Amino acid sequence: MSDVTWLPGSIFDNIDKFANSLGYQNAGIAIQLALQPWESPSERDAFIRAVTGDDVQGGTEKMYPIRDLRR
Amino acid sequence: MAGNENSGGLRPTAAQNNPANISATGGAGQSGTQPARYISGMPYGQGQELMQQQQAAPMSAPKTSNVQSAKMASPETLGLGTLLDPTNNPSEPITAGVDFGPGPGSDALPKNISANTRPDENRMIVQKYLPTLMQAANLPDTPDSYKRFVNYLLSQQ
Repeated sequence: MSDVTWLPGSIFDNIDKFANSLGYQNAGIAIQLALQPWESPSERDAFIRAVTGDDVQGGTEKMYPIRDLRR
Repeated sequence: MAGNENSGGLRPTAAQNNPANISATGGAGQSGTQPARYISGMPYGQGQELMQQQQAAPMSAPKTSNVQSAKMASPETLGLGTLLDPTNNPSEPITAGVDFGPGPGSDALPKNISANTRPDENRMIVQKYLPTLMQAANLPDTPDSYKRFVNYLLSQQ
């Protein structure tokens, strides 16, 4: 896997977002949700925000810039 | 042949002669029991024996109307949706019953369905995917939050 890079919207990125947003104690749910066929990272993030009532956790600021609040 | 003028003879206005007065359940009648039915194809003599048994101990009538109404009220008829389907109960937050997000937490669930099976389920799912998750933790751009999560899973094993 050395030639593979970390991509937004990949299953591992999904796991990172769900696990850090829902809490590590919900790892099973986080992994199951991460395996769902999300159309895009923004759709996934909208789901997380709707479920948690909070912003998406996990990732880095470099790869995940602050949301554009003008939307 | 004087006799009583009210006895005998065809009475077209009688209930049993009204063609519209037919049972919707196939003539099971109002007695609360099923009528005896002849079953053909039995060995010689057994058909009549079965008829006599049915007449001696009639079966209770099926309550078809009750069964049908119960079926219509059943949530099964709504069908199971997928995870991404719109909710069937829009007035309730989708996180009602879990310990994060809006709505009541798991303490609002009835006791008989609040048994915490999550640790076992978590363990099974994590054990299944942990080797792959560990490989992804070694990618060059992997965020620290992901590595922390994998370390947490490893510490739970």
